[in-house]
Amino acid sequence: MALKQLTPASYRSDVWNDWCPGCGNFGIVAAMTQAFAELGLAPESTVVVSGIGCSGKTPHFLNVEGIHTLHGRSLPYAEGIRLANPNLTVVVNAGDGDLLGIGVGHFVSLGRRNIDMTVIMHDNTVYGLTKGQAAPTLGRGLQPKALPKPNIQDAINPIALALASGYTFIARGYTSRVKHLKEIIKQAIEHKGSAFIDVLQPCVTYDNIHTVEYYNKRVYDLQEVEKWDPVVKSQEEAPQKMAQAMLKAYEGGDRIPIGVFYVNPNVPTYEERLNERLKTYSQMPPAAQEIDRAGVPLIGNEGFERIFSKYVVTVG
Amino acid sequence: MTRWPLRSRREWTELRELRYIIGGPQGGGLETTSEILSWAFARSGYGVISDREYFSNIKGRHSYIHATVSGAEVPYHLSYPVDVIAAMDAESVFSHIGDIRDGGYLIYNSDEGQSRFNAIPSMERELRDRLAAFMKAESLDGTLASVVKYLSDARRVNAIGLSYRDLLDQLQKKESVEAAQASRYISTILSGAMAALSGVSRESIEFSMRRRFRQDEIYRANMTMFDIVSSLVESKHGSPLKLEGSTLSLRKMLVASGNDTVAMAKAVAGLRFQSYYPITPAADESFTLEEYERLAGDGPTMLVYQLEDELAVINAAIGAALAGVRSAAATSGPGFDLMVEGLGWAGMNEVPVVVTYYQRGGPSTGQPTRGAQSDLLSSVFASHGEYPRVVLASGDHVEAFYDTIDAFNYAEQFQVPVIHLVDKFLANTIATFPIPDLSSVKINRGAVIKEKVPGYKRFDFTYPVSPRAPLGTNVMWYTGDEHDEYGHISEDSENRVKIMEKRMGKLEVMEKEIPEERRYSYFGDERPDLILVGWGFVKGVATKAVSELRASGKKVGYLHIRTFVPFPSRTIGSVAKDVGADRLVAVEHNYEAQAAVLTAANTGITIGKKIVKFTGRPMYANELEEAVMRVMKGENRVVLEYGA
Repeated sequence: MALKQLTPASYRSDVWNDWCPGCGNFGIVAAMTQAFAELGLAPESTVVVSGIGCSGKTPHFLNVEGIHTLHGRSLPYAEGIRLANPNLTVVVNAGDGDLLGIGVGHFVSLGRRNIDMTVIMHDNTVYGLTKGQAAPTLGRGLQPKALPKPNIQDAINPIALALASGYTFIARGYTSRVKHLKEIIKQAIEHKGSAFIDVLQPCVTYDNIHTVEYYNKRVYDLQEVEKWDPVVKSQEEAPQKMAQAMLKAYEGGDRIPIGVFYVNPNVPTYEERLNERLKTYSQMPPAAQEIDRAGVPLIGNEGFERIFSKYVVTVG
Repeated sequence: MTRWPLRSRREWTELRELRYIIGGPQGGGLETTSEILSWAFARSGYGVISDREYFSNIKGRHSYIHATVSGAEVPYHLSYPVDVIAAMDAESVFSHIGDIRDGGYLIYNSDEGQSRFNAIPSMERELRDRLAAFMKAESLDGTLASVVKYLSDARRVNAIGLSYRDLLDQLQKKESVEAAQASRYISTILSGAMAALSGVSRESIEFSMRRRFRQDEIYRANMTMFDIVSSLVESKHGSPLKLEGSTLSLRKMLVASGNDTVAMAKAVAGLRFQSYYPITPAADESFTLEEYERLAGDGPTMLVYQLEDELAVINAAIGAALAGVRSAAATSGPGFDLMVEGLGWAGMNEVPVVVTYYQRGGPSTGQPTRGAQSDLLSSVFASHGEYPRVVLASGDHVEAFYDTIDAFNYAEQFQVPVIHLVDKFLANTIATFPIPDLSSVKINRGAVIKEKVPGYKRFDFTYPVSPRAPLGTNVMWYTGDEHDEYGHISEDSENRVKIMEKRMGKLEVMEKEIPEERRYSYFGDERPDLILVGWGFVKGVATKAVSELRASGKKVGYLHIRTFVPFPSRTIGSVAKDVGADRLVAVEHNYEAQAAVLTAANTGITIGKKIVKFTGRPMYANELEEAVMRVMKGENRVVLEYGA
């Protein structure tokens, strides 16, 4: 446990937050700092990785390790960090354009690996920082105010894509329900494997359709209202639970479910798979290994010839 | 410009070096033949360089091994004509008619005498057209038999026709080899015939076969095949290509491809994380690393991570580096192109990461399995904006080994991305070289902080290279935006000047810390009339051409550039002053002579004379010597194009 009591405020940096007043993102930062405090995460072993755009600035507002990366590439950075040092808690904050547009290949691939990390998607249906273009989550025919013409492309369903990709914890939160979101974030961080949270996050400046009023009318809590049980008890149960969650993912219109859709704790994490192969990965991950003794490589002449004997030819 | 065929001008009276080609369909076992022979020659104390030329194809297209063996020097050059061609199939004979020396040896399948060049579907149209013209000019009927006769009559080639079918039948009578598996032994027919002609001892072949075939049964069947062929060939022809006894002092050596050499060096350098996406000719390196991922039982390990694309590859490698791990990505041109944005992030955030860059023919998909040195400018200038980087280039296996280790040291010492340029030639060439002496190898991790520091500033302006704390030790921020000392976004003008000067100031640090003599090497005359200026794989052939030309009384030298950032400006400047810029000749595997472009950019010196090759095949000593003579006679640009 941390020596001094950590409060949500301990996780806030002194950088002035320049998101638009009323932005849904504030709810995400509030939920994250509360979750971090309740979990007692040490700031220097908690890493928040972001992509580009409004959500990309998240790490700067937090007092933990903050990695503000490139558009679409937050996941590969996070994967490299986490695999090099699995003692770090890794959380990714990225927009819907980041994860489902320019970086969708990485989004799908993380599901195949089930690396133990949490991905929080700021789902606001538009590209905010570039002034409101259509994001991959915007439905066809919709025309938020910045668009010159209605959107001509269909929306990706983030929950469905996460299910198909293999994420083992899949949930949806809403920025105006901070407590609910905080609980989901806590569960996601504690889940062993790749956790995905689709966060409905109204863009107050560019999305005049998906407003707080819009969501407040439609959002309902799966666990509270339907007593939805998302947990796969054994691997045999997985297809059925996944099919249920898939149907639920497509529920929309007047009723938008939030809460935990699907949890499968039976899939080995990538870290466990690595440990199976490397044997010493858990105790001695890459970041914990020495590579030299006072500037001398660990592999010396004798070790080199022994390890790489296949390439050594002695003249006979 | 005679493209076809090459007529040999030289005859060999004594064999100081043996050159051979072994040809066959891709996937037909050529690599096995190359390994068996390379190991066997090495076992007998000779040096070998064995290049592999192949199409972007899994099975069926013509590929070949081109090798030089020598006991007088450790060879690092290839040359034409060759002393012997061993052909698995008719296409291999047709493809190399011009490559064999007068009086040389041809091993071919006599069952295929009636095969016609124009009935071979795998042959490219251009070669078929050239062959048609050749057949017409020489009044040949287009069959393999007619070509063999031509070679015997007009070129005094000793044609050794073997019925591969009969030989395989004999094998099946002696060993339990299934009919469907029999064709796998054709590669051993060739090594048997090669070994007989060149007088390689049976013991050396046994040594190689044991290494190659771990299963007893397969080993035995291969040795039986070998014995059948070698006794047959030796009884009829003797060992006319037996090399002079080796005078090399090597008692123990490494025999490895360039891919494997770099992988071994990465293990020594302390690599703990390598990410990759499959691409020719880089991927084999990652496979080798994965094979050795558990370096020494329960000791250190190397995590090899295959990702979905090269965008992910570079950024995952950067992520691992942020966690304090020595990490690298291995790729080739198209993959590097995808990495460029990530490279800029690494530059902006002062991340030590290594990219091993195996060049192949470009642009675009280009020549995926052929060699080139055409990505130099791309490496030096890749990514928008300005940031410091180190660019190293290796000329041979030994350089590649030590450069790999230096790459990691420089990356951490200067906190910059390091691009280590190698190429397909090196990647797929098996070479013999001394076992590296690791007692002189140093690991330099630069300024690192592992303890908790109150108010830690990742980009502390006090230093050009601020002490680097791995993630997990101190709270810090990184961003691709311009930032302040803490790593927070800052658009302030004064801050911008400060951090740009800090970051770019590392160029000066590198300039000071990487000594001039580390940046180049020189071979040849002390007071040359002409200096070849090259880099990368050109080294082997250029040093050979220089020593041959010097032996014939010419005063020439070769200046080999080993680092492009920082650049050996002082040396090139003084050489140009002493010898005269008009006596410098750029020798490169690209169209523009890219190192000459960088020489002009760095020093203002224009290298006006160029010998270039961009066919994807390596430069050969004979064509380079001839090109140098042409330049000496006044030509300014010679384009080399020999090689099937």
